[in-house]
Amino acid sequence: MKIIVLIKQVPDTAQLSANMNGLQLMASGPRIINPWDEYAIEEGLKLREAHGGSVTLLCLGTPDAVETLKRGLAMGADEAVLISDPQLAGGDSLATARALAAAIEKIGAYDLVIAGRSSIDGGNFATAVQVAALLAAAQLSYVAAIKAIDPAAKTITVERLMEAGRETVSSKLPAVMTVVKEINEPRYPSFMQIRKAAKKDVPVWSVADLGLDAGQVGAAGSQVKWSQIDLPPTREAQVEILEGTAEESAKALVDRLLAEKII
Amino acid sequence: MLSLVEKILFVIAVGVSLYYTQVTFSKMITVVQRGQGQLNLDHLPPRLWTALRALVNQGGIIRHRPVTSLFHYFIAWGFIYYVLVNAVDVLEAFIPGFHIPGMLGNLYRLLADLLTVAVLIGMTYFLVRRFLVNSAVLTIRDNVTLHPKAAAGMRTDSLLVGGFIWGHVGFRFLGTAFLVALHGGDPWQPFASLLAAPLDGLPETAQLIGWHTSWWLAIGLILAFVPYFPYTKHAHLFVGPFNFMTRPPRRALGALDPINFEDESIEQFGATTLTDLSQTQLVDPFACIMCSRCQEVCPAYTTGKPLSPSALEINKRYHIWDQMAALAGGEADESPLLEWAISPSAVWACTTCGACLDVCPVGNKPMFDIMDIRRSQVLMASEFPAELKGAFTGLERNGNPWQMTDDRLAWTKPLDFAVPTVEENPDFEVLFWVGCAGAFDPGAQEIARATATVLHAAGVNFAVLGNDETCTGDTARRAGNEYLFYEMALGNIETLNAVGADQKKIVASCPHCLHTIGTEYADYGGHYTVLHHTQLISELIGAGRLKLNGSNQLEKVAFHDPCYLGRHNGVYDAPRLTLAQAGATLLEMDRNRSDSFCCGAGGAQMWKEEEHGSAAVNETRFAEGRATGADVLAVGCPFCARMMTDANTNAGSPMVVQDVAQLVAAALQK
Repeated sequence: MKIIVLIKQVPDTAQLSANMNGLQLMASGPRIINPWDEYAIEEGLKLREAHGGSVTLLCLGTPDAVETLKRGLAMGADEAVLISDPQLAGGDSLATARALAAAIEKIGAYDLVIAGRSSIDGGNFATAVQVAALLAAAQLSYVAAIKAIDPAAKTITVERLMEAGRETVSSKLPAVMTVVKEINEPRYPSFMQIRKAAKKDVPVWSVADLGLDAGQVGAAGSQVKWSQIDLPPTREAQVEILEGTAEESAKALVDRLLAEKII
Repeated sequence: MLSLVEKILFVIAVGVSLYYTQVTFSKMITVVQRGQGQLNLDHLPPRLWTALRALVNQGGIIRHRPVTSLFHYFIAWGFIYYVLVNAVDVLEAFIPGFHIPGMLGNLYRLLADLLTVAVLIGMTYFLVRRFLVNSAVLTIRDNVTLHPKAAAGMRTDSLLVGGFIWGHVGFRFLGTAFLVALHGGDPWQPFASLLAAPLDGLPETAQLIGWHTSWWLAIGLILAFVPYFPYTKHAHLFVGPFNFMTRPPRRALGALDPINFEDESIEQFGATTLTDLSQTQLVDPFACIMCSRCQEVCPAYTTGKPLSPSALEINKRYHIWDQMAALAGGEADESPLLEWAISPSAVWACTTCGACLDVCPVGNKPMFDIMDIRRSQVLMASEFPAELKGAFTGLERNGNPWQMTDDRLAWTKPLDFAVPTVEENPDFEVLFWVGCAGAFDPGAQEIARATATVLHAAGVNFAVLGNDETCTGDTARRAGNEYLFYEMALGNIETLNAVGADQKKIVASCPHCLHTIGTEYADYGGHYTVLHHTQLISELIGAGRLKLNGSNQLEKVAFHDPCYLGRHNGVYDAPRLTLAQAGATLLEMDRNRSDSFCCGAGGAQMWKEEEHGSAAVNETRFAEGRATGADVLAVGCPFCARMMTDANTNAGSPMVVQDVAQLVAAALQK
């Protein structure tokens, strides 16, 4: 199976504190791999382990996003490609999807594109879906489990996690799939893999390499602009510790939750 | 005197024995050399002294199992003396009229006589203990991985060794009795004379034949047994002292060896197979006498987990014996340690408390094997308990295993004085290393506040690193993630040196931080003087810098020794002295000081679920504390505090669990 995993480098939003506003964090805070994407990589690796083939990571970002790709390579991906070009700056989800879709077509034939359900910074939940549309591939979002996959027959059946329950969907391959964290437990890269990944070359593709015009990508190709990012207002919270034995405190907790109409 | 024919036969027998000894010992040595690194043979005179001490005091066995140890001393000292006895016996048989003359000879024979009986009594004790009483301490529980040949092999080996000792010493005793009968009595050999009495009536020829036969059997057994040594646990008698002698020097009992991550030619990290272990770790199975003293003190084994340090060494031994020729011949041994030496659950059950290292009479190092296997599991295979991933990610991204992103100074807010950072007080004399627990764990924050309060009350000029502090990396290191530890160590050393902490004192209320910064950072160029807070507080009280209430509510207090303060770093008195100075009446748990029993949190256990067993380590230890009748269980480690507090809560809070610093802070005169 030829699998392509879309990953993104994001600010570590867990580091958000009262001392750092959103734009500062976006501009200069510590960077991590988008946590949802780790599940996407893990699922790609598991499919490769089960059915053979390869996993290629694709990331659109600034040159230092290569660190994120190295993390994914250390998890076990075979190859990685970085799309990086100053012209890509300020792109909305559709402009980004255009670049990603062009890169996927440049990579060539594929069976499955996997992405995290969303990114923790933009939070659009849209990019991978737009990639599917641009590629005219089947679109499977919020996948919590792959129930069956047949690379030879080019079919896949997945379970999608919806707010109200689970939905089983079958489709043809190739498809673009986004995953939720229920799907697996991402592996931790070993030092040996980190060392191997460090030695791997990561090609960097520009907008021109993708055969796109400057006007189709980045801020120039976008409808949406980010003018300001604010922290959510802090909420006053009260902490109460329920005393007593486990049984007593559990009972007291249930009573309180019922009284507050939470359960 | 031997006849000429006998003398010729004896010389031939010695030649044959020496030849086969050379063959089998070479194999043993070659197998050991299949391990990594080198045995330590530098500074030979002090090393020989170490070996001699281990030989004579038997690795300090008397500390535990006193009765058994006493009988063992009988055998061991008897055997050491028998080197002389055997030499004299051969000389007497070869050189006409040879004997040690005068009073010296009398004393020599008296001691030989007494020790002969001592060895026979001792050996009888051990045979009865193993084969008639079937002592429980010599068995290994079913849930522990054990080599298929080990259970029966251990008994056979014990019987062989017992038979050999009984045969050798017994026939020498009988031969001496024949000699005494021939010579008409010897007041300096009372026991041999006793045995000679019934032989007195025999014709002289019979007595002579009796002596010749006994002599040949006694000496012959030695000649036959010596080449066999590498295939029996009896080799412990010389491999044990040799093991102590050739161990690598360590700054502390369980200080781990660094890995060179810069050397790209290294392809193996930690131990996957037997030959990935160091040479000194391959001496261990040859030294092991299978006494299972390590198993008896292991917090994992004694609470029902599938980990027995002795089973690990025994498995290594039987694995080696099974393929001694192949290993000695340089053949690759691909079978993973995790398949035959120890189970994965056992590897992750170790609390790294170091009790096995401390107790082993032959200098074995099972804890280091376990750490090497963890390293291989994390650095090579990336297979480890899933919960540890959270701790690793927390260390990587947030610098602490709790994955907390809060302000590391939040704990200071309730204090009525300011705790200065190194920026605010660059001329500090003491750097207070708060630790992640002190910064983030609500219980440990209390300990950090109490420590700061005491330092403040004594007028100590101190500062903290605040948000520049990160975890020392102990959690990662004990969990096998040496690479993460390495990165954290380098980062912390840079931070510490930048504020001049290498020129000043560091005080830590966490023994894990104390151990890592004080003893393990030295391998990475970080040399620091680190005190446990109880050491500094005790000094301050001694210097009259703290005014404590004469009458306070501290009555009966039992102190739980943290492994990384006590056993690993030898600090036992400071916390007790501090408690006494604060007005406590000290009670001791049955297992205290170097025999202390782990709280269950060490070795990265804090960050994972306890392996499946029959009891929880913390509750086992807490019950011991409670059995002292003390009101207060005093601790000196934030992780011990957490574990003992949890056990106390589960038991319905019959005790007060507090850190020494909290008890001192409460006793401060307002």
